[in-house]
Amino acid sequence: MQLKFNLSLCTGCRLCQLACSAYHERVFNPEKSRLRLIHEYRYNGIHIDAKWCILCKKCEDACPEGAISNNQIWMIVDVEKCTGCYACIEICPMKVIVVGEEGKVLICDFCEGSPRCIEWCPKGVISLKETAIAGDEAVK
Amino acid sequence: MNSFFGKMLFVDLSTKKTEIRDIPTEWVELYTGQKGLGTRILMEDFPVKTDPLSPENRIVLSTSIMAGTIVSSSSKLAMVTKSPHTKTISDGSVGGHIGAELKYTGYDAVLITGKSDELSYLYIDPDKAEIRPASNLKGIGTFETETRLKEMVGDGQVKILSIGPAGEHLVPFSCVCSERYRQLGRGGIGAVMGSKNLKAIAIRGWLDVHVPDIEECMKVVTEIHSKGGITDPENPIYVEGTPCLVALAQESGLLPTRNFQKGTFSEAEKISSDVFTKIRRNKKACFSCTIACGNYVKTGNAEVEGPEYETIALCGACIGNGDPDKIVQFNATCDDLGMDTISAGGTIAFMMEMTEKGIHDFGIRFGETDNALRLLKQIAFREGMGAEAALGTKALSEKCGGNSFAMQIKGLELPGYDPRGSWGMGIAYATAPRGGCHMSAYPIEYEAWGELEPFTYKDKAQLVVKLQNAQFAKFSMGVCDFWPIGSDTLGRLFEITYGGKWPRERVNKVGERIFNLQRMFNVMAGFTRKDDKLPERLHKEVLKDGAPKGIVMPKDAFEKAMDEYFSCRSWDEQGRPTIEKLKELNIEKKLIDEYKKALNG
Repeated sequence: MQLKFNLSLCTGCRLCQLACSAYHERVFNPEKSRLRLIHEYRYNGIHIDAKWCILCKKCEDACPEGAISNNQIWMIVDVEKCTGCYACIEICPMKVIVVGEEGKVLICDFCEGSPRCIEWCPKGVISLKETAIAGDEAVK
Repeated sequence: MNSFFGKMLFVDLSTKKTEIRDIPTEWVELYTGQKGLGTRILMEDFPVKTDPLSPENRIVLSTSIMAGTIVSSSSKLAMVTKSPHTKTISDGSVGGHIGAELKYTGYDAVLITGKSDELSYLYIDPDKAEIRPASNLKGIGTFETETRLKEMVGDGQVKILSIGPAGEHLVPFSCVCSERYRQLGRGGIGAVMGSKNLKAIAIRGWLDVHVPDIEECMKVVTEIHSKGGITDPENPIYVEGTPCLVALAQESGLLPTRNFQKGTFSEAEKISSDVFTKIRRNKKACFSCTIACGNYVKTGNAEVEGPEYETIALCGACIGNGDPDKIVQFNATCDDLGMDTISAGGTIAFMMEMTEKGIHDFGIRFGETDNALRLLKQIAFREGMGAEAALGTKALSEKCGGNSFAMQIKGLELPGYDPRGSWGMGIAYATAPRGGCHMSAYPIEYEAWGELEPFTYKDKAQLVVKLQNAQFAKFSMGVCDFWPIGSDTLGRLFEITYGGKWPRERVNKVGERIFNLQRMFNVMAGFTRKDDKLPERLHKEVLKDGAPKGIVMPKDAFEKAMDEYFSCRSWDEQGRPTIEKLKELNIEKKLIDEYKKALNG
């Protein structure tokens, strides 16, 4: 399972990030969202970029405490084991691992199968594509 | 826990002092947020006769209770001040993402006073508030200011409010810009920042915003978003944006053309919505907005998010410009220089008519758009003929003549609707607290573009009062104009973000209270019925084409409508709110006492 973004439809409202933080952290705060979104004017017009978990498993390999695993579909953080060393944040190529309550890390879990970002996006930008973890194209 | 932090940042630029102050909960209960709360903060121990460009004037930034939450279109930021252009209270709001950004700093509002001894910018985040030097940005346009300020702060995600050369040179219709193409356009708030040597405000937040019950909030917002058209892919505000109004205005004969000499423009088709849709590159939404009205367009010569209808009307038809490329250039130039397109277009149109009528030669005539584009820069730097234009329509007419066709009210140039094509709009313009403005009420939707007879004042006073109260509640409790929301829904959204019970009666009362509060300010500043008047042209000259063709909008009928309006508002015949009315609205005793003193003194 992986998120897929059609950025040509994105208007930059950030409802995806708000839904993410509301569902998982019970607050509204894009900084605590497990996906990144940039939609802003630069010198050459609008710059749009999104980052999301591509299931590359680099965080799992980097965690010295064995706190990160996966269930073949999404990544799982064992908050009991997480010491807040942030080795995972360092290594994450998409920079989508964020720090939550008590310094524990947060990684996208696809809302356990029905991502709220997809549900809340008003323009149909985000969808799901099925891929095996650490498999083929996702790692590229 | 709710979405109100109860804190405001106080900044004195003269002493460089910053401190965190509490916001009384009572103020939220009475005035809610954004426009209302900002007005209340401005008026706390504020001498209303203050010179708008003196250090004693204040700028209040205020967010809505819903800002930063998942409620659609709820994160606009209001700025409230005493206007240098109209000398009235003046507030505006800006979209984009900066309202949410301020909320995430943990402040509901910011109160700025004083004057910095050098050009400065204010930096605000949850941990610090600092006044920092910005003399390297002197004379720089708002586009480059934003880019350079992000580098100076060292954070590309910081959100910025800035002024351009127009604000620095105290042009009375200079605006404040954010994220390049979002503006607090009207009333000259840019000049107030300029008078304080405040080039910009940079904001970065990362704190949580809470609501009383997050599950309930998500459930209710899901239900509400699915209704009312704001997620409808066919919504014209999404599909076309505000340029969709060009065809409507033309058809109704109220598209202000050649300084309101006509209500239809022969080149209207060349500047219609289709034309701008063709050059659109992207859609853009403000924070949390499901609609996305923004259109990023690009021509061979310029790019802009826009142009909005008002810009097309005032910088197109009103100056005799039927070239869409030049409208885009006009728009982008004004944004970069930090100038209101409505007042800039309106003032230039006035100068064109003055020249053509031979009353005063400003060297510019209708259709000379290249000349107008050059003039914009001269206005911002007050050079050459720009020094004259920088006075604005009212002051210019007092100096050079042409008073009967100086299309302004209380000094504020009229926006893109000729009230001869929709008479209720005349009452709305005359009574809007910040002068000739279309945001206090939009009766045109019910008249020229609705079911009501447009060419009569009958029942219009009541309509305008009702619409103004609704708008003031909406802009205070907190959603954007483009959400056609009812009081029940607005109240429900307030309940799930703030708490308590907010039935429609309470919501309507909020709007009425804030409208009266702003009127109190203006009355204390010396405004009465004599200032609630329309430019003479509208009463004396009859449009010769379009739907209003040949129909006279007589002055005595207007005055009678104003009598009705004041009576509807329970104000006296001079348009002053009565003490009984203010008490009925639960406006605080302290404010009523100040008001009484001003009336007697």
